[in-house]
Amino acid sequence: MKFQTSEAFYKSLFDNMTDGLAYCQMIFDVQEKPVDFIYKRVNKNFEKLMGLKDVIGKKVTKVIPGIKASNPELFEIYGQVSLTGKPKEFEAYIEPLSIWLLVSVYSPQKKFFVTLFQNITKRKKIEKDLENARIASQNVLEDLSVEKSKTEIAKAKDEAILSSIGDGIIATGPDGKIIVMNKVAEKLLGWKVEEAMGKLYNEVISLEDEKGTLVPLEERPLTKAFTQSTTTTTTTTTTTNILHLLSKNKIKFPVVITASPVVLDNKIIGAVEVFRDITKEREIDKAKTEFVSLASHQLRTPLTTVSWYTEMILKGDVGKVIPDQKKYLKEIYQGNKRMIELVNTLLNVSRLELGTFNANPQPTDAIAIAKSVLDEQKPNIEKKKLVMVENLSKDIPIFSTDPKLLRMVFQNILSNAVEYTAPSGRIELTVSCDTKTVAIKVSDTGYGIPKNQQSQIFTKLFRADNVRAKDTDGTGLGLYITKSVVENSGGKIWFESEENKGSTFYVTLPMDGVKKKEGAA
Amino acid sequence: MANEPKNNKKILVIEEVEDDASLRKVLHDKFVLEGFNVLEAKNGKEGLATALQEHPDLILLDIAMPKMDGLAMMKKLRETDEWGKNVPIILLTNLNADNDKIIKEITDNQPAYYLVKSDSSIEDLVEKIRERLSRQY
Repeated sequence: MKFQTSEAFYKSLFDNMTDGLAYCQMIFDVQEKPVDFIYKRVNKNFEKLMGLKDVIGKKVTKVIPGIKASNPELFEIYGQVSLTGKPKEFEAYIEPLSIWLLVSVYSPQKKFFVTLFQNITKRKKIEKDLENARIASQNVLEDLSVEKSKTEIAKAKDEAILSSIGDGIIATGPDGKIIVMNKVAEKLLGWKVEEAMGKLYNEVISLEDEKGTLVPLEERPLTKAFTQSTTTTTTTTTTTNILHLLSKNKIKFPVVITASPVVLDNKIIGAVEVFRDITKEREIDKAKTEFVSLASHQLRTPLTTVSWYTEMILKGDVGKVIPDQKKYLKEIYQGNKRMIELVNTLLNVSRLELGTFNANPQPTDAIAIAKSVLDEQKPNIEKKKLVMVENLSKDIPIFSTDPKLLRMVFQNILSNAVEYTAPSGRIELTVSCDTKTVAIKVSDTGYGIPKNQQSQIFTKLFRADNVRAKDTDGTGLGLYITKSVVENSGGKIWFESEENKGSTFYVTLPMDGVKKKEGAA
Repeated sequence: MANEPKNNKKILVIEEVEDDASLRKVLHDKFVLEGFNVLEAKNGKEGLATALQEHPDLILLDIAMPKMDGLAMMKKLRETDEWGKNVPIILLTNLNADNDKIIKEITDNQPAYYLVKSDSSIEDLVEKIRERLSRQY
């Protein structure tokens, strides 16, 4: 393209430049303050960029209403430039037009100025987005670092808690290698944490039973945590099955152990074992056993004295006794007998709780025991005119169980039926068997057990309200003992009962022999 | 009432604990009434000497806990001679009836029996003695 004149050239330049351009005259007030300006000339892109039309000769305050309020600095800057002739460049947001402008301004002559501008709204938006993103990421970072330090604190706390727990703790990974060991474990086992870490659990832990036999690997609680994914807790109070740990330098001490699998997302990722030195408990336990033993002797001896002397007087061994005296002596004898039974009951409870209840299984005739207990109950049955129905199977084989314990079971459930059935009621005793179990069933038409108290009936010292009111003699120990005895023999006991209708107690005992259970004295 | 010894069976009663004197006395009276020839001893040592000298037909032996002197005496007696090995012994105690140690000693030192005093009537005891004496080993 060829230009005829330089004016045409500049005009072309003026109109085709991508920037907006405006040539304006500044208007000052009487105090020489810039208050407005008039568009003298603008190029095409001015209109395009600003979205304005026909601005020539018009005041900016008319063309862009609100400009004075939104951009007072424009007037200041333009005023200054048009007076001083010093060019300036700045960015401005023109709110009434919602655009960002990059403005260059210079003054070709006093009180006039030329602005050259680009619409930088897009760039500004990107900048703003960037800034927002930056702020957002900074926030995230800050949050993260807060979280991180929180996690670190929490972790340190967890570790402190773990290592300060008063019981020994050892955890292993799925390979059985030790990954956690706390201070108490260190102290009890005599292994330094650093030493034990990474070693196989079985290298560090030696476990023995009461008799000093090593517990085989597969029977160790921790092994069971893996193989059976069960939590195992070893016993505290039985004197028979206490496990002993051996420290690094072979010091042996009694422990209780709870070992559990560590499960994450349904997968076993390790096992954790908590153990406690129970030397003190055992000492107390022993003191209790000794006390019980002592008490049994001490209480039973004077009771025997009363019993035997009264018996001899009653029998007339030391001279004739007149009927009234006999009546009184019988009361003494019965009272004393009851006291002996109470002492026996208390001793049984103590022995159950101490785990010193010995089962001495031997060939036992359940029917003979049932009959003998029925005989014992006969006086009470007759006194209350109860109907006693006996269904004693003839097919019960002689089987291996502890006859004393079996007798105790019969005694308790039969005497309860007799005790808690109103006169003229009916009691039915059924003893039957299948190939594996002997089943005992005692049903009565007695007072029954209130529904809301049925769950407590096997609880120690518990007596249902309805019988408590009728009979003040019961101890609340009979069924507690019976249940323990039955369960110790591998059997089951349960009942059905309705108040004022009666109760039925069921006991099943395995015939494959009660395991001999050994207790201390 | 049988006041003269009609069966001439000798029973040695050994009750070891001081305050069991009353029990020893009532046993003595009862056994005399039942026509037994009753010998008595106050402790294991004395009992052992009397037993070896008198050769009673049956020995009633208290297990004076907690020292278990009765059990120790029984062991010693079984070790002495043929007679000592075979004389029936009834152990009397007020300890738990299922005490392992006692049961083991009884199994190891037959013929020996076991009664919890407070759970037995004096009549039960006499019956047990008669039953045992009527048997030839």
